Amino acid sequence: MSQDTHPYIGFEEYSEHVPPSIPLAVQQATSRFVGGRAARVAELPQWEQLRQIGSDIRQHTIENMDVYLTLLEEKVVAAGGHVHWAETAEDARRIVLQIAKENNVKNVVKSKSMATEEIELNHALEAAGIEALETDLGEYIIQLAGTGPSHIIVPAVHLKKEEIAALFSEKLDIDAPTDPIELARIAREVLREKFLNAEMGISGGNFLIAETGTLVMVTNEGNGRMCTTMPDLHVAVVGIDKVVPDWESLTVFLKLLARSATGQKLSTYTQFITGPRRAEGEFGPKEFHLVLLDNGRSKILKDPIGRDVLKCIRCGACANVCPVYKNVGGFAYGSFISGPIGAILSPQMLGTQAARELPYASTLCGACADVCPVKIPIPTILRHLRRRVAEGDAFAIPTISTPIRATANLASLALAQNWIYRLGARLLPIINPFFRKNNWLSNMPYPLNRWTKVRPLPPFGARFRKWWNVRSTKETESPR
Amino acid sequence: MPKAQLFITCLGDQFYTSTLQNMTHLLERLGVELTFPPEQTCCGQPLFNNGFEDKTRPVALNFMHAFAKSDAPIIGPSGSCVSMVKHHYPSLFREGTPEHALAVDIASRTFEFTEYLVNVLKVTDVGAVYPHKVTYHASCHYLREMGLKTEAKALLNNIKNLEFVQLNEEETCCGFGGAFTVTYPEVSRSMMENKVKHIIASGADTVVTCEPGCLMNVAGGLHKAGSKIRAMHIVDLLSSKEELV
Amino acid sequence: MTNPVIENIRRSLGRTDLTPLSLRPAIYEPRHPESVDSEIARFLDEIKKLSGVGQELSPSDIDSSLKTLVAEQNIRKATVWETPHLKQLGITEILNSLGVDLVSPNADKHEVALCDLGITEADYLLAETGTLVLKSSTEKPRAVSLLPRIHLAIVRPEMLRADMHQVFAEAKDGNYLVFITGPSRTADIELTVTLGVHGPKNLHVWMTDT
Repeated sequence: MSQDTHPYIGFEEYSEHVPPSIPLAVQQATSRFVGGRAARVAELPQWEQLRQIGSDIRQHTIENMDVYLTLLEEKVVAAGGHVHWAETAEDARRIVLQIAKENNVKNVVKSKSMATEEIELNHALEAAGIEALETDLGEYIIQLAGTGPSHIIVPAVHLKKEEIAALFSEKLDIDAPTDPIELARIAREVLREKFLNAEMGISGGNFLIAETGTLVMVTNEGNGRMCTTMPDLHVAVVGIDKVVPDWESLTVFLKLLARSATGQKLSTYTQFITGPRRAEGEFGPKEFHLVLLDNGRSKILKDPIGRDVLKCIRCGACANVCPVYKNVGGFAYGSFISGPIGAILSPQMLGTQAARELPYASTLCGACADVCPVKIPIPTILRHLRRRVAEGDAFAIPTISTPIRATANLASLALAQNWIYRLGARLLPIINPFFRKNNWLSNMPYPLNRWTKVRPLPPFGARFRKWWNVRSTKETESPR
Repeated sequence: MPKAQLFITCLGDQFYTSTLQNMTHLLERLGVELTFPPEQTCCGQPLFNNGFEDKTRPVALNFMHAFAKSDAPIIGPSGSCVSMVKHHYPSLFREGTPEHALAVDIASRTFEFTEYLVNVLKVTDVGAVYPHKVTYHASCHYLREMGLKTEAKALLNNIKNLEFVQLNEEETCCGFGGAFTVTYPEVSRSMMENKVKHIIASGADTVVTCEPGCLMNVAGGLHKAGSKIRAMHIVDLLSSKEELV
Repeated sequence: MTNPVIENIRRSLGRTDLTPLSLRPAIYEPRHPESVDSEIARFLDEIKKLSGVGQELSPSDIDSSLKTLVAEQNIRKATVWETPHLKQLGITEILNSLGVDLVSPNADKHEVALCDLGITEADYLLAETGTLVLKSSTEKPRAVSLLPRIHLAIVRPEMLRADMHQVFAEAKDGNYLVFITGPSRTADIELTVTLGVHGPKNLHVWMTDT
């Protein structure tokens, strides 16, 4: 997945074909998480202060990313780990496959990792004859179903328990009950064997602490621990933007992350992994590989406004409050990451040709910016990327469609040359009788049909200017 | 006697003449001497918000020249339009140019209607009477870009015989979003229907908002849903002298 | 000397050297602990909120408590950290006498996976969130708190720390640390909360005085 090769993301088309069950399911998840978040935020009077500090630290880190990554590499190596630099998604896949090949890996267990979805690692592993099993329950389910995630935190929330039971029954050749607790137990049993027998565990990472070369993983189920403790080989694929300066900084993000994501104070398990195990008896991998993924992030760094997207800690709070996301779900965004953060990351990572519709997938309501734990100014970046699409900037030529550009040209002319506007305002009421019904206008022609197919338009009736003129004339003629 | 210039907004101009007339009468009643620069058209927000910054500049210049003729404050019945002028006009022009200086000046004296009433004139009671159940939709730019969190309710509080009912998801976007309604009409539809559903469920017979755009969207949606609930701009509500029969 | 990724970053940021441009911004003030008793109460309350089972015990109660646990949870196989304190408490002896099979905590993972119960201590405790912090070593193998379906942590008040800042200051130079905040859980299927997906389903925490 990279620029120039990513298929076109037709948000309008996708959003028009969303089965109603998806927004319904997504809204149940988002309202649960929003409620949880609100409760946790109310408990912390210093919340706004934490957000500001979190924002400042992320800002500082991305502005000094080379320094911190260099230190990180040094420390990981000193702890006995291996560091690989993946400039592109292709590089990352190649590196992971190479490690697998060198170690005769046939079975991989994967912990939830958006970075590995970003680079489409599973396909590459499977093509090489390696079984790559998702072990996070939600990811396991959607892997069986062959679909993408509908929500960042609960990727399978769009599926009903009956559907999941049917899926398990079909794929595992069993008679699965529809009780979620039973289904989770089945997954536990199936995956337990896999954990114990896999040669390699692949994970992502939530943070990378430069100070000591430590990988931080924030999880709930225990599969993250399993994948990084049971196999002899652990490969972590992590975006370069996940680096944090030190442990002190991390305290801020650990306080912000789970609260923002699900309304927990802390997730069930937070692991701090520095290199491979030091003794056999303690369990843990013999070999630790950290694959640092660039895939366009270093290029995004060049844009002082757009690069704020790199502050993201992947909590999903923005999606949980976004009225657009809540009405369409994750699939409409056409990539591994959805919601407001997806709308500003995909155009920068995949380019404003493939993702030109995404910056417009928002009413700029600003609810996301209010909840982002690291204060990413999402509406500002959305406008900034709309500029890139509509008029182009230092990073890309414009990619807006011709009809829209023509409309904008016309609008600009009519609104700047006020005589045109005022003439138009006087003339528009002429068309009212053709479309009027019950004091509203309906069934209007293109382009106004895009409005009237949803709800009627008030009749055109610009009478204020005339009224004002008459009034002013009367006043001058007969002063009070 | 305070002076002010009327910023009628393009939507107000096309669709809400009576609201503009009410605004004129209300401000005059409060002792404000009004002028109306006829060269105004639109603040340019639809172009700016959709990424057409270069095309916004001539529109902004037209606006600024229209209102530069007087140094009186500029008042508009729309948080989003006012926010465009206040928060975005200066960024359209290079610092050090006369246009930038003009933009900074215009931005500093442009006010949203309820902001002007409550924070400048220090008025929250205009003697309005409206004996009905009213619920309030908090428009996004009015709330978040302008930061107007209490002004509308302060005014509603003082309307005689008005019974206020809280709208569930008061601060959730109604789906207008300017050009969003025509860019993604179906998503706009879902959002609008969600807002209409909450308005109907509130039990109010009137919904009030401070934005002509939200008003157009919601009023049309309520009509389409067959609802008899009135959708009003706060200016019209504040002008009401509807006595109890 | 550097790699293409670092080169890209430097070029994007317009930098020519490695010196950090500014100091890392200041961090918020850490929490100051209340009394030990209130911290213990807070800690056990958080455990309860997380659907864990927490209780205060004196060392002489361990015998009977283990007996109850083994009977109630049908424990047949168990594995125990071989730390000085747990040895001193005689945990393995008690389990033996209850007819429970002991598996060495350093045994092969397949063996440890067959255990119903894993007993550990904790290196630190965080009262605010009901968190157990465990290090890793031959004496303190990671699998014991992960593979069995029941995890019992026998802890002491002196492990309490005011907040994460303190824990990190003391523990950051190790090779592994895990924060355990409640039993394993998921809400992936229709948002129904399910415990014990992959990690332990039951978390028991016994707070003993020294």
